[in-house]
Amino acid sequence: MRIIGSLAALLTLTHLLAAHAGAEPATGLADSAALRATVYGTPPQDIAPLPAVVPLDEIDIALPWARPLPAVLWFDRRLRVWFSAQSKPAPLAIVISGTGDDGNTAKLALLRATLYGAGYHVLTLPSPTNPGFIAAASSTGVAGDLMQDSHDLYAAAHEIIAHLPARVRITDVDVLGYSLGGAQAAVLKSIDSVEHRLRIHRAVMINPPVSLFAAMNRLDELFAISVGPGEEGIDLLYRRLYVRLGNFYRANDQVRIEDTNLLAAAGAVLRTDADFSAAIALTFRIELTNMFYAGDLYAGTGVVTDPRRPPRPGDSTDEVVRRLLVKPFSEYFDQVFVPYYLAHRSGSTRTSLIAESRLDIIADALRTNPDYYAQTNADDLILDRAELDWLRSTLNGRIAVYDHGGHLGNLGDRQQIADMLDMLAGRWAEAGR
Amino acid sequence: MGRGWQVRVIRLAALPTVASASLLTGGCASHDFSIRSLPAETPAAYNAAAIKEFQAMQALGARPASAATQATVGPPLTPADVPSMQTYDPWERMNRFTYRFNARFDEAILRPAADQYRRLPNPVRTGIHNFFSNLSEIVSVVNYCAQLRPAPGVRGLGRFVINSTLGIGGLLDVATQLHIPGAPTGFGATLARWGMHPGPYFVMPILGPSTLRDGFGFLADFGTDYAINPVNLYRGTAGWVLTPLDGVDVRANISFRYYSTGSPFEYDTVRFLYVRRALIEDDALRMWHRSGKGAAQTPAGQ
Repeated sequence: MRIIGSLAALLTLTHLLAAHAGAEPATGLADSAALRATVYGTPPQDIAPLPAVVPLDEIDIALPWARPLPAVLWFDRRLRVWFSAQSKPAPLAIVISGTGDDGNTAKLALLRATLYGAGYHVLTLPSPTNPGFIAAASSTGVAGDLMQDSHDLYAAAHEIIAHLPARVRITDVDVLGYSLGGAQAAVLKSIDSVEHRLRIHRAVMINPPVSLFAAMNRLDELFAISVGPGEEGIDLLYRRLYVRLGNFYRANDQVRIEDTNLLAAAGAVLRTDADFSAAIALTFRIELTNMFYAGDLYAGTGVVTDPRRPPRPGDSTDEVVRRLLVKPFSEYFDQVFVPYYLAHRSGSTRTSLIAESRLDIIADALRTNPDYYAQTNADDLILDRAELDWLRSTLNGRIAVYDHGGHLGNLGDRQQIADMLDMLAGRWAEAGR
Repeated sequence: MGRGWQVRVIRLAALPTVASASLLTGGCASHDFSIRSLPAETPAAYNAAAIKEFQAMQALGARPASAATQATVGPPLTPADVPSMQTYDPWERMNRFTYRFNARFDEAILRPAADQYRRLPNPVRTGIHNFFSNLSEIVSVVNYCAQLRPAPGVRGLGRFVINSTLGIGGLLDVATQLHIPGAPTGFGATLARWGMHPGPYFVMPILGPSTLRDGFGFLADFGTDYAINPVNLYRGTAGWVLTPLDGVDVRANISFRYYSTGSPFEYDTVRFLYVRRALIEDDALRMWHRSGKGAAQTPAGQ
């Protein structure tokens, strides 16, 4: 089983490259520092104070509105979320993951620790774009619609909270999320202002996109620039990185790949801006393959799976992965997402669906309700200048914009956490910023 | 080896039998809601360790960069040497079946057992871990001999003697504190050292991803371990406790969780990463022996 240990080490390496990239960055030529921060995240010595012990429960829940489960997603029958309970009555913080991520990422663990330390019960949820969520909690199976996905998330959160043991006493409910989860957190609150089932008090968006569609397209562009088109692009990137890793191990006499060497290995593999861009773009593309596959399967669009011959768990997926890796978000949008919503939402057009992927759908609430907050970075890869300005003016001062950090590259640092806790507690305005 | 060896395999097989039974009787039952307490997280200690590691890495900071540009052992790898992205997996259907079984077994038996085990106080777990590591030292020594690498072999033997005596039967890893770090090896590496290629990808029941060569290597080590076990630990009734405990200890130290990302392509991802890792390690091992350094020293960083 030593074998699996080394494997886990390697998975950690990809996580190091992937989890830190996390989501949907990039405006073509982002600056070096932003790219590196996005990939590496906050250095451990800059992390906010953390509690010694955080209790943790794993919750699995079957949701009645889930679509019939395809055989190949047998392991995703129940939605899996994580919960940390205070022993006394306390406010609940619901935290939503970023694009493609599950409900227990390193970023979520960091937020959980700081929130628990500040006295919250903490519930962490996967992104509605995560295949586990799509299978177990999506009412459509086709992820990517800001409002619909948030409705599913809202219903799931309500169901989970209703099932919590009686000893958990909740005094207030706040919601936050990072990246795409940030935008969904705000939408969740706006849904709640109509439905009143969760009684959400405040919402904090951490590095949210303003336009989902635009952010995704920027990633496609980044992929095109840093990896190149088609299978050759991916093959060249693979060879480049393999050669570097191979030579690193040759030069260092390290005949076993273990945890301790991973940071050094990552440093040897990723060197130029193009490498960091490629790591970010590829990470996102890999998340997209999952979402694309699930959407295609549920909507029966037949792009990579034949709706008349549903795939079986024993089937090889080599060919499917090869084909999906070269497909950008735009193909998902035009071949799966748009056809599905045109058929299921009357009066929709491609243009209206793009418009509905913007935070504008809740602009009035963001503008007038003082309980919405945001944190972002001036060099966040998923925003352009106009979008950042839109956030500033719409939130009217209820936003902290840090100079550096790229996309989520400062998540968990002392300033970000202190501000986040101030916002959640309603102390932000009083702080006189 | 003879019959006793078979008994040990049967003992290990007892686990999947129990597992299959429990899977049939309850593991797959459709509960609509379940809440399960996990071992508490310790973020402060975790981050403190990360800081230490980060600083150690920064101290080494200059090295990887220069190493990457300096002459490697032998000619450096070039893009033309890189194996195809596709993995040789002629037994894919069977492998996928085993992978699914492993995922279920892990969820139902191994991981919950490891979670319980992780609730034990840290010194107790470290003691158990050291104990089993110390026993496996013998296998490493045998394999270093078979690899014709006396230096690490002698070090391994030294570690075993020191830890078995000063370390109270292996409960304490005194040797590492005396700056004699462990460098475990196995029969898979021995075969690789003599030029055998990894062969097809092979998912072992319970143990997970491997290749034909390394799977065979594992079985051989398992047998060796049993055959020359010095204090007869695995033979008596204690074997029924120790073999599973060894497995649980190993599992508790691995953070991997099956299907944690929910991805439909996990099998592909794991196979890709596992085989690339094996190929890169093989390549480094081969180069290193070719350069003649293999017999002289233990690999750095171990």
